[in-house]
Amino acid sequence: MSLATNLKIFFNEAGNLSRFTGRFFKQWFKPRYETAELGRQCFVIGYKSLPLIGLTAFILGLVLTIQLRPSLIDYGVESQLPAIVGIADVREIGPVITALIFAGKIGSSIGAELGSMNVTEQIDAMEVSGTNPFKYLVVTRVLAATFMLPVLVMMGIAISLYGSYLGVNIHGVTSFHLFWKQVFDSLSFTDVLPAFIKSYFFGFAVGMIGCYKGYNSSKGTEGVGRSANSAVVLSSVMIFVIDLLVVQVTDVLGLN
Amino acid sequence: MMAEKNQVQNIEKPLPGEQILIIRHLHKSFGNNHVLVDFNLELKKGESVVVLGKSGSGKSVLIKCIIGLMKPDQGSIEMFGKNIPDINEEELDKIRAKVGFLFQSNALYDSMTVRENIEFPLRRHWIRVSQAEVNKMVLESLEDVGLAHTIDMMPAELSGGMRKRIALARTLILRPEIILYDEPTTGLDLITGKEIIELMIEIQKKYKTSSLIISHDMNCVRMAGNRVAILTEGRCYALGTYEQLQLNTDPLVKQFFE
Amino acid sequence: MAKKVINSVKLGAFIIGGMLFLVLLLYMIGKNSNLFGATYKLKARFENIQGLVTGNNVRFSGIEVGTVKRIKILDDTTIEITMIIEKKMLKILRKNAVVSIGSEGLVGNKVVNIVPARIPGPLAAEGDILNTRKTVSTEEMLETLSKSNNNIVEITAGLKTTVQRINNSNALWSLLNDESIPRDVRNSISNIRLATVKARNMADNLNAIVMDVRNGKGSVGTLLKDTSFAQNLNEAVLKIQAVGNEAQSLAVEIKQVVTGIQKDINTGKGTVNALLKDSLMTLTINTSLENIQKGTDGFNQIMEALKHNFLFRGYFKKLEKKKPK
Repeated sequence: MSLATNLKIFFNEAGNLSRFTGRFFKQWFKPRYETAELGRQCFVIGYKSLPLIGLTAFILGLVLTIQLRPSLIDYGVESQLPAIVGIADVREIGPVITALIFAGKIGSSIGAELGSMNVTEQIDAMEVSGTNPFKYLVVTRVLAATFMLPVLVMMGIAISLYGSYLGVNIHGVTSFHLFWKQVFDSLSFTDVLPAFIKSYFFGFAVGMIGCYKGYNSSKGTEGVGRSANSAVVLSSVMIFVIDLLVVQVTDVLGLN
Repeated sequence: MMAEKNQVQNIEKPLPGEQILIIRHLHKSFGNNHVLVDFNLELKKGESVVVLGKSGSGKSVLIKCIIGLMKPDQGSIEMFGKNIPDINEEELDKIRAKVGFLFQSNALYDSMTVRENIEFPLRRHWIRVSQAEVNKMVLESLEDVGLAHTIDMMPAELSGGMRKRIALARTLILRPEIILYDEPTTGLDLITGKEIIELMIEIQKKYKTSSLIISHDMNCVRMAGNRVAILTEGRCYALGTYEQLQLNTDPLVKQFFE
Repeated sequence: MAKKVINSVKLGAFIIGGMLFLVLLLYMIGKNSNLFGATYKLKARFENIQGLVTGNNVRFSGIEVGTVKRIKILDDTTIEITMIIEKKMLKILRKNAVVSIGSEGLVGNKVVNIVPARIPGPLAAEGDILNTRKTVSTEEMLETLSKSNNNIVEITAGLKTTVQRINNSNALWSLLNDESIPRDVRNSISNIRLATVKARNMADNLNAIVMDVRNGKGSVGTLLKDTSFAQNLNEAVLKIQAVGNEAQSLAVEIKQVVTGIQKDINTGKGTVNALLKDSLMTLTINTSLENIQKGTDGFNQIMEALKHNFLFRGYFKKLEKKKPK
């Protein structure tokens, strides 16, 4: 394929995604509100992801602490281990890693679910059954992903800091209380709030892209797989793009 | 509760010879591919019409235009006195509540049990019924298709024929006046296909529904259709009873009966 | 339906759990920056705040009691800082406390130190301006340090020449190396021992005589009534006293010599060391010294006894009367 064709495909995709997003906002505010389905999606997307995200976050905190330790010893600031892990975890690693795991789990599942619903005419069946499938399927999932990811990020940070606490205690000794005090002392609002707010955008991107890819999947079982795959790839890339944008914005606002 | 009863009464109101679905000058094209060109068809109350056509002849497009899933480029589709392409979503939903649609791939919701699948249209169409009433109706529908024991199973646990029946039960839950069948026997073996067709006929008799069946299965055409319409080159090429068309010598008609 | 309720409970617990951590995080940060909790403001003015920034800690006698809230330039030589202080300090912090700027470690964050004046004063209230003390900046400190360094250089140079001189002095070394000295010392010590033994015997004899006199035994008692004899005795006693004094000062001098020698020897080298480090020798010296002391003690006792004797009381009173003049 030539570059021009690729570019054309890229811009076409970007345009369609933008229109899809616009449609989301238009549908979101219009009644009727699918609250029951939203609750169900929150449960599936949020609560059901907790074990996976908890596990990865725990390992991440533990490994990060063990890996950082030798370097800090070289610089003679071993006692700052909780503070450094805390800042790294809250500011960047916690939100981004959680979002990536979330994209892998939820992006693909939304992409595959909506893709297969599209292929087996379930989306049409919903429309025939007096349901706006866009509201019922897309709006609920996007909202659930948007509002559940920050919760997961917070939980992930808490769990990975606990992992870090255990990591500190492998070679050294610190009390649970002292560890958290060091972490909290090293943090400020400008560390927590941008990280928390950006995780909303991460969640929105994952939900939106998963739904877009699934809702517009091509017919056939191959299309389902492709939409699941491209949902993960695109949303992972988007997470980094959003991360970049957020860091620029906070930099300009002087929040760093 | 009242609405439901009223609706049932409406359905049972006998109006002999009334045309409840009139399709006029329907055009639909995708780019340069003109799928439907001036298609005309009428469906009378209590009647069963089979639209026969080859794959890719625009049968599915026709049926999706009727139910409002696709908008035709031109022409009118009149159902219950309303022109489907012109009305808004709210009115469309009201009409859809009176029209059943059996999808080619059944379109059972994989994430829901059989019960939830069948309840779904009832709940979604804002029909206020008590839970006991809903349970009764679900069970009744399932008994109509002979699968009452599957009520708490997931669609994935069922065979193809059973899924088709569940899908049929789901279309029946709203007591539709018209049922649109999209390739009801596709993907099923001959015997199961026959069973489904028999079930369709039985239901039509029981609930006095009108049916529009889209198929290329000659068994289905012979057994289920009062009239047969042959869809070729985007228009209704021939219309008549099975017997009439069987005697037709036109090669385009004849190819279906060989 | 039951299943759905459980789902809602789990979902609720999940969301509340996540949000709780966020709230805890924000609360702890807020607590650290004194956003919540009761605080009041105090001010201080400086000429130079040495890189203090808002958010730096404020310490009272080393305890963290608040943070720097605001830094405002009043004019070209005055900078006013506003500190928020925990309310519990209202009853502790006085208006005459002194504020200064220090740093955590040599290159660490700046901190504001509040040091109480040790005199009573009114308590500091909201908005009060506290006294400040100009603190030594690192540069000034380094400047002084460099001066001290120069001084140290001079001192060490002087020390060096002194040591060199000592090293080059032959007299000192020959003195320390002379083997005859310890021999002489040893001789004098044995002489001292003899002298002390004799002094002790004499004191004993004297003691016996005095005892006899006190008891008024025979002729001695009568003898003592004779004034001429008393005059003689008086002279004799005085002489004895002088001898005793001499013995005492001798003993002191010997002690000084010995300790001096011991000191020299402990640090010195050569035969002197070897000889004098002999523990037996030192033991003998010690016993002789003890003997001298005992002797003089006995003598003192005798003198005391004499003072109280009716015969000599008058004489001693006279002596005492003379003293103040």
